[in-house]
Amino acid sequence: MAKNLSEKFYTVMKKLEPRYPSKKALILPALHQAQEECGWLPAEVMEEIGEYIGVHPAQIREVASFYTMYNLKPVGKNHLRICTNVACCLRGSDELMGFAEKKLGIKCGETTADGLFTLSEEECLGACTTAPAMMANDDYVESLDVNSLNDYIEKIKQGVK
Amino acid sequence: MPKCMIDGKEVEFTAGENLVKVAKRAGVEIPVFCYHPGLSVVAQCRMCYVEVEKMPKLQTACSTMATEGMVVKTNSENVKKGRAGTMEFLLLNHPLDCPICDKAGECDLQDNSYGYGSAYMRGSEERRTYVDVNMGPVIQKNMNRCIHCTRCIRFGDEIAGIHEMVAIKRGNDIDITTIDGKTLQTEYAGNYSDICPTGSLTLKDFRFKKRAWMLKKTTTVCEGCSKGCNMEIQHEGDVIYRCVPLENLDVNRYWMCDEGRFNYQHTQDPTRIIEPKVKAEGGWKTISWEDGILGIKEEIDGQKPTFLVGSDLTQEELTHIKEYIALQHPGATIQHFGTPGLTSTQQDGALDQILRMKSKTSNLNGAEKLGIAPLMNDTIKADTVVVMSAGRAKLPKINAKRVIAVGVYLEGDASQFDMILPGLAFSEKDGTIVNHQGIEQKLKRAVLPRGKCKSLSEVLMLLTNKKARVGANP
Amino acid sequence: MSTPVASDTLFVQHFWKDANRNLSYYLESMNGYQAAKRVLTEMTPDQVIDEVKKANIRGRGGAGFPMGMKWSFIPKNSEKPKYLVCNADESEPGTCKDRQIMRYIPHVLIEGLVIGSYAIGCKHAYIYIRGEYANEAKLLNAAIEEAYEKGYLGKNIFGTAYSLDVTVHRGAGAYICGEETGLLNSLEGKRGEPRVKPPFPAISGAFSCPTAVNNVESLANVPHIIRMGGDAFAKLGKIDKSGGTRLLSLSGHVKKPGVYEAPAGSLTLRQIIYDLGGGILNDKKLKAVIPGGSSAPILTADEIDVVYDVEPLMKVGTMMGSAAIMVIHEDTDLVKLLLRITKFYAHESCGQCTPCREGCHWMESILHKIIHGEAKPTDLDLLVDVAQNIGGKTLCALGDAAAGPVISFVKKFRPEFEAYIKGQKRYA
Repeated sequence: MAKNLSEKFYTVMKKLEPRYPSKKALILPALHQAQEECGWLPAEVMEEIGEYIGVHPAQIREVASFYTMYNLKPVGKNHLRICTNVACCLRGSDELMGFAEKKLGIKCGETTADGLFTLSEEECLGACTTAPAMMANDDYVESLDVNSLNDYIEKIKQGVK
Repeated sequence: MPKCMIDGKEVEFTAGENLVKVAKRAGVEIPVFCYHPGLSVVAQCRMCYVEVEKMPKLQTACSTMATEGMVVKTNSENVKKGRAGTMEFLLLNHPLDCPICDKAGECDLQDNSYGYGSAYMRGSEERRTYVDVNMGPVIQKNMNRCIHCTRCIRFGDEIAGIHEMVAIKRGNDIDITTIDGKTLQTEYAGNYSDICPTGSLTLKDFRFKKRAWMLKKTTTVCEGCSKGCNMEIQHEGDVIYRCVPLENLDVNRYWMCDEGRFNYQHTQDPTRIIEPKVKAEGGWKTISWEDGILGIKEEIDGQKPTFLVGSDLTQEELTHIKEYIALQHPGATIQHFGTPGLTSTQQDGALDQILRMKSKTSNLNGAEKLGIAPLMNDTIKADTVVVMSAGRAKLPKINAKRVIAVGVYLEGDASQFDMILPGLAFSEKDGTIVNHQGIEQKLKRAVLPRGKCKSLSEVLMLLTNKKARVGANP
Repeated sequence: MSTPVASDTLFVQHFWKDANRNLSYYLESMNGYQAAKRVLTEMTPDQVIDEVKKANIRGRGGAGFPMGMKWSFIPKNSEKPKYLVCNADESEPGTCKDRQIMRYIPHVLIEGLVIGSYAIGCKHAYIYIRGEYANEAKLLNAAIEEAYEKGYLGKNIFGTAYSLDVTVHRGAGAYICGEETGLLNSLEGKRGEPRVKPPFPAISGAFSCPTAVNNVESLANVPHIIRMGGDAFAKLGKIDKSGGTRLLSLSGHVKKPGVYEAPAGSLTLRQIIYDLGGGILNDKKLKAVIPGGSSAPILTADEIDVVYDVEPLMKVGTMMGSAAIMVIHEDTDLVKLLLRITKFYAHESCGQCTPCREGCHWMESILHKIIHGEAKPTDLDLLVDVAQNIGGKTLCALGDAAAGPVISFVKKFRPEFEAYIKGQKRYA
């Protein structure tokens, strides 16, 4: 089988193996590591993870598809996930989402044609006291308003971020 | 023994028994979907609510173990409302396609809806729909009908030992399926259909052939291997439509393999030889029973032909053959055959972790117990050979001047024979077989013999009779 | 009652400065790892559990179960390994306190893990952190590495026979993993579906072994309990059955949203909103408060003179949950807000049990119809009845979490729903 995952993946996993009493417990860490390498989780990659863990590939898929952070489809270079849950909603996240859709020219859930942005709606991020908030890849951007969101997107577009 | 109260009836139980089982013994049926006695308990469907004294919330009977002095109500207003609520939830997205669903008439969803649901539908939402994948030759998938009981997932994982059915995504979006359009790999796929409480997983082989309520059911034993799985032949008239496993905790628990399930098909194969035939120039010639019997008598009377008997025959048949030989052909050789390369029960063993055994015939143990010696090679050389078998035993290569066959054969098996007298298949006769554990089990006649087939006993009787008189055929 | 001062608080004075997360800060300003040292060198596991019992500390995750009791359920003579799992899946909408502990003073959590692990006989503890807290996971890992280097983790801690490993395990986006058995399944590499109980985790938890699952804030309190003694910690609380302080996540329409801390039961909801939060945003009128994370039944503006703690809130028909207070002012459309809450629970339903999988989605769809003027007058009662068919009927608490808001919103703000149904109001 053609290897889709790097040596680094296997090195990281080898280091984690002794930290769990069962190899299956490595499924989530493996999916995270693979996604970090590939940006998303193609079927072949999940199959390779299944082979490494020693489980049927369907088992990897059922786990991966349960969690919203595993991308089963490719996403843009910058994945903006705007929280629209209660605290953010009270603080104007609807307006932010509307603005982001217009600014990026895509609907929530879509990726821009240049592959630079994916826009998603996110459930509560745990940044309620600094609402509204969003995740931009792994980073939190908090206390947002239309202006600061505009600046953030502009900076990415201009290659500053 | 500890006791508890179910709907006012005192019932004894053994520690670790859940309320579904205990209630059943008290004659109280608790409706279930996800619970299956052969699978792990997940308490997901929320149908088996009961009220337990001193517990504020409704409890699920499947996951509640009986305890000493426990007082359980299965029919209170609270329980009824809970169950009706579950039924309503389950039917929200279930298509009302019972008229064209194969499961109708034997559907848990239908039965429980009738028993515990409401006559009215309050939901007016559009139903959830799916595009189904091809699951292979055994199972037809209809995800729209699925109620997410996960029995199939657990069967794959816990019994079949292959995690191929999975739940993809979560919540309302769950799809229970194989991935990437893969077909089912397990050799036990038929069970998916048995345990599915709706028409979500049905047997392709059975689809649209017969309404469940028109089928007659005959309890018998599978002849597919030395396991002896208990099963039911379901038939109408003299046509078998399907076989389904029956519970026997000492033998097959609740399951059977696909090979055994579909084994019945050979008995209805259009190429099965169902009339006496003799080899003639350019093929086979159909003859009368009288000519057949006389023909054989001519060949073997007063001789010592070699008798090869399949270990797929019943104890009664084998005993009868032995007696026949002792009387009519004293000193003649008799050997049993069945599975190439496997000559004794000592060599028999599990073919997988589930049910299937190495011996592909059902009565190897019985043949051995009757003191019949095995055929040691896959080839036999003799002057005249008489083969008697029921269609499962794999024929050896026969090197003889004359080969006479009595039993169940397809045209493809017959090339080595010179004459064939058609016999009864396992579904057409009563009898006893002894499984690999030594358990004696009964075959039961479900359908009448096909064509002009006759029982082995009748054939032996005719061969013994000096003036072979063959009456009218059945 | 008054605004709490620093001496009444254990955590907040250490928040908001990045430098505080270093080990040196923890050692100097918080007597770092001294409690763990005392525990490992001078105390028996039973003595630790007794001290925590005396402290009257309720779990800070939402259910409020007494923490010392939870630890005492772990069988002492079991041959199996025992696990302590820190629930850092903070995901009840409105809650963001655990994140601050992990961001600013991660070592207090690690020290809590050392003490807790010792108390229940665990040799490998896990921190299950929600996937979104990717950066917090990195900070925790860095702090854990520091602790290993200095011998606070690893083999023979403080020269004793006791050894402990700690592993951070990241979730990947699933609210239900905050439920302790969903969390354990997720830790084991499965879908985060809650398990049937019994068996409870104390008997069969992580990897089928005895397990205690504790919230971040709960564990972070443990070094304080040991340092000041269980009795003194209990006395910090101003109400029976609740020792210590509470971290309060105050969000929504207040002037000064933030994570605050106050001795348990020392403030009313009104004081929290007006004294800590500085009152209502733009000086609007208060309309309602969700007092304990989005699953807590809503309170009207007239119901906020209640002491903010477990029992008093229970008496007024709601709950304290994870102490997340969401303040709602007069301009808010509560039908829209309830739809948002219900959509959340429908999205997060794991889908294994019928009432939650089907019912949450159904409620969402009825609310959708109401807000778009497509509902019949009977749909409002149907909505409540569906909620009642979910509440108390599901395998885990998510069903109750979804049903509670629906029932309370409709009960307390019925005219707002009726206005939509009658066509007096249109969705903007």
